[in-house]
Amino acid sequence: MKPFDIVIVGGGGAGLYAAMEAMKTNPALNIAVLSKVYPNRSHTSAAQGGANAALGNKAKDDTIEMHIFDTIKGSDYLADQDAVEVLCSEAPKIIRELENIGTPWSRMEDNTIAQRPFGGAGRPRCCYCADKTGHTILQTLYEQCLRKGVLFFNEYFALNLSVNGSRSRGLIAMNMKTGKVEAFPAKTVIFATGGYAKMYWNRSSNAAGNTGDGQAIAYRAGIPMKDMEFVQFHPTGLRKSGLLVTEGARGEGGYLINKDGERFMVRYAKEKMELGPRDLVSRSIETEILEGRGFDSPAGKYIHLDLRHLGADLIKSRLPQIREMSLNFEGVDPIEEPIPVRPTAHYSMGGIDTDNFGRTIMDGVYAAGECACVSVHGANRLGGNSLLDILVFGRIVGHTAAEEAGKFAPATISELELKESVDELRNRMQPSGHYERYGALREELGQTLALNVGIFRESSLLHKGIQDISGLKERFKKVRVFDSSDVFNTNLMQVLELKNMLDLAETVAVGALAREESRGSHTRIDFPVRDDEKWHKHTLATLVDGKVLPGEKPVTMGRYELQERTY
Amino acid sequence: MTETIDQHQEGKRDVTFRVFRFNPQVDSKPYFDDYTISAERGITVLRSLNYIKEHVDATLSFRAFCQAGICGSCSMRVNGISKLACTSQVWEELDKCREPGIIKVEPLRSMPMIKDLIVDMDPLVDKMKRYANWIESTMPLDEMGKKEFLVSEEEFHRYDKATDCILCASCVSECSILRANKEYVSPAVLLKSYRMNVDSRDSIHDIRLAELVKDHGVWDCTHCYRCQESCVKSIPIMEAIHAIREDALECRGPKDTSGAKHAEAFMEDIEKKGKLVEATLPIRTNGMIWTLRNLLPMAMKMIVKRRTPPPPPLVKSAKGIKIFRAMFREMTEHVKQDHQKSHKK
Repeated sequence: MKPFDIVIVGGGGAGLYAAMEAMKTNPALNIAVLSKVYPNRSHTSAAQGGANAALGNKAKDDTIEMHIFDTIKGSDYLADQDAVEVLCSEAPKIIRELENIGTPWSRMEDNTIAQRPFGGAGRPRCCYCADKTGHTILQTLYEQCLRKGVLFFNEYFALNLSVNGSRSRGLIAMNMKTGKVEAFPAKTVIFATGGYAKMYWNRSSNAAGNTGDGQAIAYRAGIPMKDMEFVQFHPTGLRKSGLLVTEGARGEGGYLINKDGERFMVRYAKEKMELGPRDLVSRSIETEILEGRGFDSPAGKYIHLDLRHLGADLIKSRLPQIREMSLNFEGVDPIEEPIPVRPTAHYSMGGIDTDNFGRTIMDGVYAAGECACVSVHGANRLGGNSLLDILVFGRIVGHTAAEEAGKFAPATISELELKESVDELRNRMQPSGHYERYGALREELGQTLALNVGIFRESSLLHKGIQDISGLKERFKKVRVFDSSDVFNTNLMQVLELKNMLDLAETVAVGALAREESRGSHTRIDFPVRDDEKWHKHTLATLVDGKVLPGEKPVTMGRYELQERTY
Repeated sequence: MTETIDQHQEGKRDVTFRVFRFNPQVDSKPYFDDYTISAERGITVLRSLNYIKEHVDATLSFRAFCQAGICGSCSMRVNGISKLACTSQVWEELDKCREPGIIKVEPLRSMPMIKDLIVDMDPLVDKMKRYANWIESTMPLDEMGKKEFLVSEEEFHRYDKATDCILCASCVSECSILRANKEYVSPAVLLKSYRMNVDSRDSIHDIRLAELVKDHGVWDCTHCYRCQESCVKSIPIMEAIHAIREDALECRGPKDTSGAKHAEAFMEDIEKKGKLVEATLPIRTNGMIWTLRNLLPMAMKMIVKRRTPPPPPLVKSAKGIKIFRAMFREMTEHVKQDHQKSHKK
């Protein structure tokens, strides 16, 4: 195949913005976007809430400064302040640019883009399109990429980077439609593959494919991961699937009830009750369950989200989506029965360690979006900042790669290297005596992570988690692919995804064990307070000789001094 | 091979999934496999398929991603209707089975097969490109990102519903025209074209419209409403198609294409006689030469079979034509006023 200047892995918000911006920066470049799904299927579409930008349409006194402060405070002071400054200063421009190229936005009375209040924000600055903001942004970006003639390789599954010393030569990927393993020699590779929270499996709100493929590939190529221990939990996921019941249910007045019929939030947030901040409500639910006041079922322990007192009319008119979801995924009509819920892994703050331009330590390798850790979210991401992150840094990384591609000589990937990748896949398909089911491993991984590396963490639990993960990695060697077909082998793909999750799970658990403090989404029972003296720093995880080598990196400070995070 | 999903709740029903199978590498033609499992209330078709793939037959192939009805990956035909597997309830489907207890699962129609329940989406993407399903912004390049367009809430509502489309292609699969003509624009692409054409930020309305009125375009729709009935997001797709046609008549005149002429001829007959003058309809739509060239053999056959429509002079006006004409005039007046109103806005 003809060598590329830029190969972008992932077709969500970050990947598509990177492609558009790279083409704009230098139209002569040969750019490709690889995605394991059609780009319009990407998980960006699931973001409902909106994107933060200090446009000042709703609150005239809103400023970029305030947005910066809210984000830094929300991050529990772990975000790099220069990166946050980039994020927030670029925000108004990028939202207007999206508006200019066709994203539909809900509107204010004066016909400007509508904004609404969001958790942790001092002013209403979340720009939205009804409850489908991510979906409409993704559609717009995909439409514009089609307009510009971006070259897409849809339904290609990325396998590994081709590396020569400290420099990447491109990517090796499998064409799902033919099963053929193909080389994508490229001067630069951008990872934009989304988050890794699906490793919590049915305790995660993520799409089935959010398995951290880009991070795992980069990790195996020796690129460090940063702050992997920070995983955000949303308080109300459905018991069986982990799918999200949006905050609206509690906003409209829903109760959280334990086995004893008690509105237990009274013990944790007497004033705000069910409407306390996400991490607090998540911890409260988890405490109830841990102390034996949850309901029990083979599908796991849970508590009740009770909407019945709101009445059929209100549920039907204001919460139709929540009702539909409960019916679809739990078989429960909230008008008649409470919804079984428990906290669900929702967002990964950690990811590939990059600088403010999306560069990694490896020449020619870049990352952006949830897959990267710049870091702008630190220990805890604010609602409305994830869409913004993928847009702003998607654009920056596209521009950077386009500018820097010229620095590198054209790359080639040898036939031998390609053959190694093929052989690795083939071996997996050879029948052997005793084998393991990938489905069982996947579920066990989710369970051990939720139990031992979940909302409450503690030394002995984390040791148990690490032990479980290494046990699963050992058993994974015996996982067999039953489908021997070359055409669209989803069996093989799911096995490879499991491998990616297992590799990354180890970095999450190791990072969580190392960080002996509680900060943002990371809560250690044995170290209940934030310890700025010892832990105001990023953690790194690098793969050396098959083992996680922990490292660290200072947090870039700026105008804002460390303060206690209270709301 | 009866297996169970979640045995913790009372009340489970046995269900057989009769699934379409085809692997082009080994199969000369498609066949069906039966998988029987036990499913409780609240289990979706997708969860069942996932279960079968994990526990019974790992070779069963289908797409699935978000599992929450927003990505559009898992569209397939369940009991003959195109829909998302992730939002379809097994128990509800059990009540719709043709054969009791057997839920039939097949791939979408009118799209090239790849394997089992997976079809090729590329033809749809190609059509999105052909009909310029994007905004060509009126904002100059060097002004981008500097200011917002001012868009009224009313304009937003014109395309709000249309932007719900997740390109699951259920409408494509259900469309009766596409089954006969693969080149037909397709309901999804018409919907998207409409959405772009009513957006004030767009600058290529006329170019897009010119493409839409060509062969295999907007005039080929036969109003069967199957697209709208099967839309997983309940989008009124037919309203969008009608709007494009009205727009075409208004912007390009009634003599523009055979589609426009056909609509015009319909109107004329209905106003004059209250019914169609079928004998001359093809001539008024496509002209004399085309009709002679293309329809003469069929006309001869019709004569032989005595199935020819009556010649125009013999078509009598429908009963109560006078009252009807008054109603007709009133209706057209209303439509005209509505148009003027919406233009003023």
